[in-house]
Amino acid sequence: MRRTLGLYLRLISIQLRSQMQFRFSFWLDVLTTGLLNVSYFFSTYLVLQRFGNIAGWTIPEVAFLYGMIEVAFGTMDMVFSGFDPDFFSVFIRQGTLDQVLLRPMSVAAQIFGSSFVLRRIGRIGQGAAVLIYALVTLDIHWTPAKVVYLPVVLLSQVLAMGALFMVGSTLVFWTVQRVEAINVVTYGGVEVMSYPATIFPTWLRGFFTYIFPFIFLNYYPALYFLDRPDPLGFPVWAPFFALPAALLMLLAAWRFWTFGLSKYQSTGT
Amino acid sequence: MPEMIRVEGLQKTFRVMERRPGLRGAVLNLFAPRHRMVQAVNAVSFSLQAGELVGYLGPNGAGKSTTIKVLTGLLVPTAGEVQVNGVVPWKVRERYVRQIGAVFGYRSTLWWDLPVIDSLELLQPMYDIPPARFRSNLAEFSRLLDLEPFINTPVRSLSLGQRMRADICAALLHEPHLLFLDEPTIGLDVVAKEHIRQFVSHVNRQRGVTVLLTTHDLSDVERLCERVMILDLGRLLYDGSLAGLNDAFESFWSLKVDFAEDYADVNLPGLPAPRREGRQAVYAFDHRELSSAELIRRLLERFAIADLEVRRPPLEETIRRIYQEKLLVDGERGQAV
Amino acid sequence: MVTFWRIIKLSFLQQLTYRTAMLAGLVTNFFWGLFRAAVVMALLSSQGSVNGLDLPGALTFIVVGQAMLAFMNIFGSYELMTSVYTGSIAADLVRPVPLFFLWMGKDLGRSVVNLLGRGVLLVAVYAFFFPIQTPKSGLGWLAALGSLLLGWLLCFAWRFLVNLAAFWTPDARGVGRAAFIASQLLSGFILPLRMYPDWFVQFSQYTPFPGMFNTSMEVYLGLLNGEALLSALAQQAAWLAVLVLACYAVLRLGLRKLVIQGG
Repeated sequence: MRRTLGLYLRLISIQLRSQMQFRFSFWLDVLTTGLLNVSYFFSTYLVLQRFGNIAGWTIPEVAFLYGMIEVAFGTMDMVFSGFDPDFFSVFIRQGTLDQVLLRPMSVAAQIFGSSFVLRRIGRIGQGAAVLIYALVTLDIHWTPAKVVYLPVVLLSQVLAMGALFMVGSTLVFWTVQRVEAINVVTYGGVEVMSYPATIFPTWLRGFFTYIFPFIFLNYYPALYFLDRPDPLGFPVWAPFFALPAALLMLLAAWRFWTFGLSKYQSTGT
Repeated sequence: MPEMIRVEGLQKTFRVMERRPGLRGAVLNLFAPRHRMVQAVNAVSFSLQAGELVGYLGPNGAGKSTTIKVLTGLLVPTAGEVQVNGVVPWKVRERYVRQIGAVFGYRSTLWWDLPVIDSLELLQPMYDIPPARFRSNLAEFSRLLDLEPFINTPVRSLSLGQRMRADICAALLHEPHLLFLDEPTIGLDVVAKEHIRQFVSHVNRQRGVTVLLTTHDLSDVERLCERVMILDLGRLLYDGSLAGLNDAFESFWSLKVDFAEDYADVNLPGLPAPRREGRQAVYAFDHRELSSAELIRRLLERFAIADLEVRRPPLEETIRRIYQEKLLVDGERGQAV
Repeated sequence: MVTFWRIIKLSFLQQLTYRTAMLAGLVTNFFWGLFRAAVVMALLSSQGSVNGLDLPGALTFIVVGQAMLAFMNIFGSYELMTSVYTGSIAADLVRPVPLFFLWMGKDLGRSVVNLLGRGVLLVAVYAFFFPIQTPKSGLGWLAALGSLLLGWLLCFAWRFLVNLAAFWTPDARGVGRAAFIASQLLSGFILPLRMYPDWFVQFSQYTPFPGMFNTSMEVYLGLLNGEALLSALAQQAAWLAVLVLACYAVLRLGLRKLVIQGG
């Protein structure tokens, strides 16, 4: 385990070195992707200036939802970039996976180490800025439990979204081409999680509760942090379901990944 | 000599989707895909002793890469037994790949954006090579393969020959018992090819590394391998010495004779008439029925001869005929297995 | 003209071969429309209407917008840039069609496939979920189609202009991204402009961006009539003239730079 971690860090440091070679374009990339992402929040922000609230949530409260999931997704997108289905489908097509299988190191660890898209800090940065704006503007009644739980929620979101990337990549074992429909739950999941869950029609909400438990990853934790009552009547511990839900998703994704990999080894491409 | 590779009844079947053309076909493909089973490798058995250097030949699509993929642990076969150095490759992948080296001519296994030296140094912790061994191996290979001039160049900027040398070095730093070379000289010029052959021969002799070499370039095989295996249509058709291959399939050799005088009739009884050009004549003879020594003796008895040359048909020609005319597939089999 | 037509046809046929990609895009598009529609519903259900835009109108705006996304190529493209960097633009320059029209033909063929294969299909599917409005008269349809065509041309001219940045900087992608952020937000593609604060709407009127999308949708929904309609179409046409002139001027400067520096 320590050996794998050490090797992983070496692979990552190589990634970082080569990405920093053209500094100016790197920072331009960071800035413009950050701006691109925040423009969607900016749009919501402007519209809410006219409407005051959405489903009873004010601008800073929506900013909290948005900031949390954006920071988490940006981080995930950086750490799990090897499992980004767009990247991984190229990886398979170019036969790089065979090269990975020839090395005496865990396949997953090598894929984690094969890409680390540093310029995602643009997305993380804009999410963090919005989150900080929310935390400063909102009058949150901080308790020690809340302080501890905030990073746990972020971690859960990272793991859960990472699990979806892993599933998307595993599908590539069968399809070779990336499966665009996975975007509905990855990028679409972020979109869904950045609004209060009550705005969605019941069937869609059910989909994002029981099939993909997004509602427990961001909306319910937010109810807890903001001391808002639960309009949906879930048990009181619902806000604390984030980590178990994420771990369940990760476990399922991991099983699927191992299955896909063994399928790849028995059929090739 | 201990056995290094044992393959018994290896079989690999792929399921291939049949694509129907047109818009209607595309819809049908989506909802009612039609499959076809393709036997890439069928009932292949062979064994390699430690220290051997064996050529693995066959036309495109014969099943060579499938065999190599199984032997390197990348692919799980449909049926059959494979043991390499006492283990089943795909069952203990991480442990197994430490013992082998593999080079693919058409694809680098190095890190594309890294300078060669960084790529090589990454292998030290990855394969847990003791630092001292690593340094001495690197120094030796670097000298033999002449890596020094480009060791700080990123892999992506290397020429094909340089990249191949770097790749071969990378495959050997951890001192594997077994080396798989898949088309190592593809696309290289004569000098670069020779450089690589020399090195392969060196590690095989000096270090006792067992080598399995697939190639399209028969000069690689002639230069390096005493034993060849020929595969076609997924079946192993020949396993034996290179000389034996020629003997088995090219029974007609030719003898070129320069006569010292002008003769009107140079025909020999029992042989077809030679092709003539001035004082020169070329006799074709079946070397299994008539040895070249015997033929020469008979000529010398009758004629004054200035010069002689026995020609065996080039290996290239033999192999081409074997592939094209499917000589081994049915009919005569020689030493075929 | 014949060549121009041929280019359109060629890129149309080429785009037809990407059927699976189109189908996949359809699924993503569809869900995105649902998400946006939920936001609009949550905002407008309490208020009834805003600036004359009511809930059915806003929903139509959103879902037809999603359907037009691929046709309008709202997210922008970086192809022309790439051809400048790779030097393949040289081959385009010796063709008998001006560069501007050559690329317009390429884009148009692709867009038409996306309109038919993606847009129409998507609207049909959305019709099961939302009450989709249509223009009330033949004249309304005509005005909407005219405005949509002007909108497409504006989108194209903007893309072309932005891509020309490649002549001056190796990092034109960043420039492009920033430019396309502006056009997405100010064209009303994310949410109808009428839902934004008044100062923002007023500000947007000084830019060509509302004409790329918002105007066409308002014409389609019948929100603009009489003089307002004519003035909206005139504005689109005027901005188009400005952008096309800008494209030609900037292209000439860029080519001069290319010739002097030898690419």
